Amino acid sequence: MLPIVAYTDKLTVAPGEALTVMASSFGARTYHADLRRIIQGDTNPEGPGYKDEAIALDLGGERHAVAKAFKPGSAVIIPGHEALKGLGSFTLAAVIQPTLTTGKERLVIALPGFASLGIDAGGHLVGRLGQAEVRSAAPLTVWQWQIVSLAYDAASRELVLSSLAAPGTAAPAARPRIVTAQAVQAGPAAEECIIAATRDTEGELTGFFDGKIDRPAIFLQPIAVERLVTILADVQALRRRSDLLAAWDFSERMMTQSIRDVGPFRLDGKTRNAPKRAMTGWLWQGQELDWKKRPELYSAIHFHSTDLHDAGWSADFTLTVPDDLKSGVYAVRLVPDGDEDAAYYCVFVVRPPRDRASANTVAFLFPTCSYLAYGNHRLGLDVPGTEIGMGRAVELDRHHMFLQAHPEIGFSHYEVHNDGTGVFHTSRLRPLVDLQPKVKSYLGGYGSNIWQFNADTHILGWLDHIGQDFDVITDEDIHADGLRLLSRYNVILTGTHPEYYTRNMIEAVQAFTDRGGRLMYLGGNGFYWVVSFNEDMPGLMECRRSEAGVRPWEPGHGQFFHGFTGEYGGLWRRNGHPPNHLCGVGMTSQGFDISEPYVINPDSRTARTAFIFDGIDGTVIGDYGLAGGGAAGLEVDRADAGQGTPDHAVVLGSSVRHTDIYLMVPEDLLDPTPDWTGTQAEIIRSDLTFFETAGGGAVFSTGSIAWAGAVAWNRYDNDIARMTENVLRRFNDPQPFEMP
Amino acid sequence: MARYQITEADLPYAREFLAAPIGYHSPCLQRVLNRMRGPDWTFKYVLIVVERYSRWQLGRLPAARGGRVEAVAGVYYDNLLDAERDIFKRRWRDLTGQDLDHQLSTLS
Ligand SMILES: [Fe+2]
Repeated sequence: MLPIVAYTDKLTVAPGEALTVMASSFGARTYHADLRRIIQGDTNPEGPGYKDEAIALDLGGERHAVAKAFKPGSAVIIPGHEALKGLGSFTLAAVIQPTLTTGKERLVIALPGFASLGIDAGGHLVGRLGQAEVRSAAPLTVWQWQIVSLAYDAASRELVLSSLAAPGTAAPAARPRIVTAQAVQAGPAAEECIIAATRDTEGELTGFFDGKIDRPAIFLQPIAVERLVTILADVQALRRRSDLLAAWDFSERMMTQSIRDVGPFRLDGKTRNAPKRAMTGWLWQGQELDWKKRPELYSAIHFHSTDLHDAGWSADFTLTVPDDLKSGVYAVRLVPDGDEDAAYYCVFVVRPPRDRASANTVAFLFPTCSYLAYGNHRLGLDVPGTEIGMGRAVELDRHHMFLQAHPEIGFSHYEVHNDGTGVFHTSRLRPLVDLQPKVKSYLGGYGSNIWQFNADTHILGWLDHIGQDFDVITDEDIHADGLRLLSRYNVILTGTHPEYYTRNMIEAVQAFTDRGGRLMYLGGNGFYWVVSFNEDMPGLMECRRSEAGVRPWEPGHGQFFHGFTGEYGGLWRRNGHPPNHLCGVGMTSQGFDISEPYVINPDSRTARTAFIFDGIDGTVIGDYGLAGGGAAGLEVDRADAGQGTPDHAVVLGSSVRHTDIYLMVPEDLLDPTPDWTGTQAEIIRSDLTFFETAGGGAVFSTGSIAWAGAVAWNRYDNDIARMTENVLRRFNDPQPFEMP
Repeated sequence: MARYQITEADLPYAREFLAAPIGYHSPCLQRVLNRMRGPDWTFKYVLIVVERYSRWQLGRLPAARGGRVEAVAGVYYDNLLDAERDIFKRRWRDLTGQDLDHQLSTLS
């Protein structure tokens, strides 16, 4: 599999800045590191050939490869500050909606070493105090809100474990279930309170909860569970109670890691591994769909034993990017035990300097958001239907075998957690084993079968082949710098599948074309999903797949607004920035078997478009390629005035059929009938589109992920490559485009 | 349990598949493939990459996340179309209990 894997602390770094590498051994004893510039990553013998370049920078000699673990699982950690000492009588209480209850123990509230309330491996509620243990006779119900508590009376030494279905649930009878035992306090006082986990004897977090927890609280006297229903429901009254030790209102500061105690001791805490916040709580019954308007109804956190934010590995070494290193895509290559074939490539971008423009007028926009959305995705491993969409068997490359063996590496936006709910958060602070050259994928079509980063190297390789100087900038860079960065360039080229965009990013690219910039959208299904970053949790990205779009899960009722920013999640076309408006085309269909050529629209050959067709006389172009054997395929976009395609946009050519694996996207499949397939529906096509903008700019869109695989065909010598170069040359000419 | 059951009536589509495993298929063949490739299995046949673009080993991927991928001893392919045909025949046998090659030879 992979003897060594690694990640860097950043995906984009400027000359003169430091980059830190975190590596872990999964079998390697030693490794040595070098720096490579990645030029073309596809190793298909039918392709132009793998190409990288060694950079003369000493990264040190042989190093010992140290094994480091992935430690997933989200929780809330609350330091005790002495306030947890001297507990006599008490009640631990919370409202919970467990989503997984068997197979292992899961904690709701733990005072490690002292007492705890949780769910045992058989799904029973279990309470512990010292050596004493109480356990419910019946297992807890999953997916239902219930009030759970562990109460201790120091005078009578009675320990009472209770659960009660929350009002408004479908429980047949809201009768409390109560178990009692005699217990004496033993052991030291807890030094902290942990919600949704506890600590093992080594001090490591364990016993992670799967499901929602709402309004956990600790009282200084025993309270019957029937009374807790009313007590926990009223936060304002709760915070004035004189028997309150602490109560955590998760609806405060939801956009951060901070957890607020509403009680007077201020036992504030922090989340770990980014559980889902801004989630409907036990009192939410559809009163409001936007958490910003009724935050008090969004008082739950959904925890997962599979959440991961920052792998937190110790650093192996730090390098400083030389001041004169040109902007580009680079990798720290880690060669384990002298075996170059087993090398791990830690890919990152050297962006141009922050304080001044480089001499380059062309930039490749390295789509870190889309890489992150797909990072470590498991479509061919977890989703049986992937093979149907591929129209051929799933290939498992070495990194896929590693992912199968190590699901604890954390998920992508394409997975569900073990409880079946969607993965809202994906992080770059962990190895992204599919962000490497050479690797194969599932969705890349019959041929090279590569996806995202490795497929994008077809464009990088072509730019190198034609001798075009260019900078590389990333999604994160334009999210932060906006038009300040983009306006340095005449031309921006996208990757093959720039699908995930933050608001900053889409507004920056729109402003770029509005004001004279030239955009070459060399992909398909671009500018599709809304994603957000979180200022309190760098490296993490959120996506809530609301309402429509081709999507592996839905965010759950009432949870369509992002927790990181409050933005409405889902498609940009539902949020005022349809891709058709930005680039002329928008997602229409997908299939991952074979691709098709474009049939040229003869009416499109005019003086306006002559530069595009220079030297291209055929009526059909792109009936070849490394991605499914055609230039139009995998994910395809159509021009559509109803979705914002400008009136004056020219469709230069279109694919005219696809296999029946290509179906209509759900946002347009309003009434499913069996004629919405690639051999039947004219709307399932890729439209090659061009238009000028009022500011003297222009847009060229391929509306196809497979385009770049055709560019790379026949060692970049073909009509698709020629057309791409024709466009690049004119787009890089500052002479303004005229509106027709 | 999948609703569509593969029977002898599907033999013409098996022949169609063996002639052209990847690309355009008749609706009836597509339905056979959907049955074979869908979720109704405790494991999935997969191709473990031995050498990228030149050599694959047949594998059985369990349905449970993180389960061990079983490499099927001695079953290797050096082109993907052969691999598709072999997987198709294995699934045909798994679903119908019949040997596809034998059925096709007696049919003709
Ligand atoms: Fe996608």
